Amino acid sequence: MKAVNAVTTSWPGLRVDRPTFSAVAESELDAVHRYLLFLTGNRTVAEDLTGETFEKAFRIWRRFDPRRGTPRAWLCGIARTTALDHFRSEERRRRREERYARDLPDAEETALGSGELETALGRLSAAEREVVALRVLLELDGPTVARVLGISTTACSTRLSRALKRLEEMMRDARD
Amino acid sequence: MPATDVDFEREFEELVRDLRALPTAAPTDVRERVRALGEPARPRTLHDLLLTLSLPRSLLVLAPVCVLALVSAAVIHGLVNSSGNSGHTASAKQPLDLRAQAEHGAAGGTSTTPVFGALAKPLAPSLPTPAAGRYQDYEASLTVRVKDVDALHDRTAEATQLARTYGGYVASVDESTNSGNGRSDLVLRIPVNRVEDAYFRLARLGTVTEQHLSIRDLDQVVQTQRRRIVQLKVQIARIDEALKSSSLPADVRLRLELQRDAAKQELAQVTGSNKATLREASLSRISLTLTSQKAAVATKGGMSRIERAARDAGSFLAGAGAVVLFLLIVLSPLIVLALAWILGSRAYRRREERRLLSAA
Repeated sequence: MKAVNAVTTSWPGLRVDRPTFSAVAESELDAVHRYLLFLTGNRTVAEDLTGETFEKAFRIWRRFDPRRGTPRAWLCGIARTTALDHFRSEERRRRREERYARDLPDAEETALGSGELETALGRLSAAEREVVALRVLLELDGPTVARVLGISTTACSTRLSRALKRLEEMMRDARD
Repeated sequence: MPATDVDFEREFEELVRDLRALPTAAPTDVRERVRALGEPARPRTLHDLLLTLSLPRSLLVLAPVCVLALVSAAVIHGLVNSSGNSGHTASAKQPLDLRAQAEHGAAGGTSTTPVFGALAKPLAPSLPTPAAGRYQDYEASLTVRVKDVDALHDRTAEATQLARTYGGYVASVDESTNSGNGRSDLVLRIPVNRVEDAYFRLARLGTVTEQHLSIRDLDQVVQTQRRRIVQLKVQIARIDEALKSSSLPADVRLRLELQRDAAKQELAQVTGSNKATLREASLSRISLTLTSQKAAVATKGGMSRIERAARDAGSFLAGAGAVVLFLLIVLSPLIVLALAWILGSRAYRRREERRLLSAA
């Protein structure tokens, strides 16, 4: 059976060639997971959020307009909202737990990894990690990343250069 | 610290390479979970498309659409109004068989014949001749524009003189001036048999902007009055004849005398009415208005259809603009509040995001 990778939707005067959801999910899954891994700094959370992101994208796939951006940028926007919602609910959970179980130790979290680079990445802030992920790993352009993050292009490139500089310094310190 | 720019570049490339080499592929269970989602069943609808429209994008689309709709409505309004007026202009330009109309009015009893209303261009005066041998109430009104106030005085005097020249008189004169503009309203009574000449002389006092003629046939009225006069005279003569008899009882004599007095009174009344009717029929009434003002009506009438349509469309747009301005003024507090709310919530959301990301 031949796989359908793109469909054409047309209304009078509005003709849009859109890829299929399954094709997009197949090609962008690793990118979204990579981004969430860098953003959260936690493999387990990143895996959960990746699944959630694609479920959310599946529900609102009809609203995706390829003329307004790439599927990757659109998915990263959803992933970011999902991650922020997760951080918010985690914060509430932590506050509740601090109130009722101050003495309990923090649950052990699965970090990025045990290497030098992973450790250095873990010491960056989530905002710095996400800009590195979007620009360096996912190779999205500056204006797209700025749009996903909701900041200006200048702020985006400043954040990226600061994050890479800190990362380099930490790596150099680790090597020395 | 990197010794040179080359070292820096090399370190940076190594860092990027290391970052990209990190094991970040999605695990199999996540991949299977995503694959299991399949393909959304429902196709895209127009509602989905509308949901993708952002506020700035919607405004970018809606604003030109609204302006276009408004301009189209203005053009249609202008065209419809100008075509409505054109019928009036056409009737003004259409040559009228006035003489025939006057004759028709005479034959049919009482009629009023408008010659022209507000007219598109300065008029060449035209007037139906009074029907010879018939009694008619002949009324005409004429609006004549003169150059200035000085000319207005001269023409008023000239019109008065004209009325006397033709054996008529001036029934009333009302002259007024105000800030460089003036107006004279004259009512002239001219013998019907000379009304045509008088009318054309009056029309030459300036530029005719409006004229109107009314002819009311009085022939039937005069005939009725005359018949009644004859009837009353016969009745009075008969009563007089009857009263000459000496054998009449006293009560009958008294009743006849009362009848004769009533008949004489009615005769006097009908005779008076008849004389008034004949006087009315012998003298025409010309209402002459002399003005130094530029007639607004004449200016309106003088415009072409395109000019009228443009003017109507312009006034429609001005009205719509006034409504929009009014709504903006009324709704401006709400708009300011809405903008403040949007900007405030956006700033709050960004601050909240920064806080969450720094805590993560």
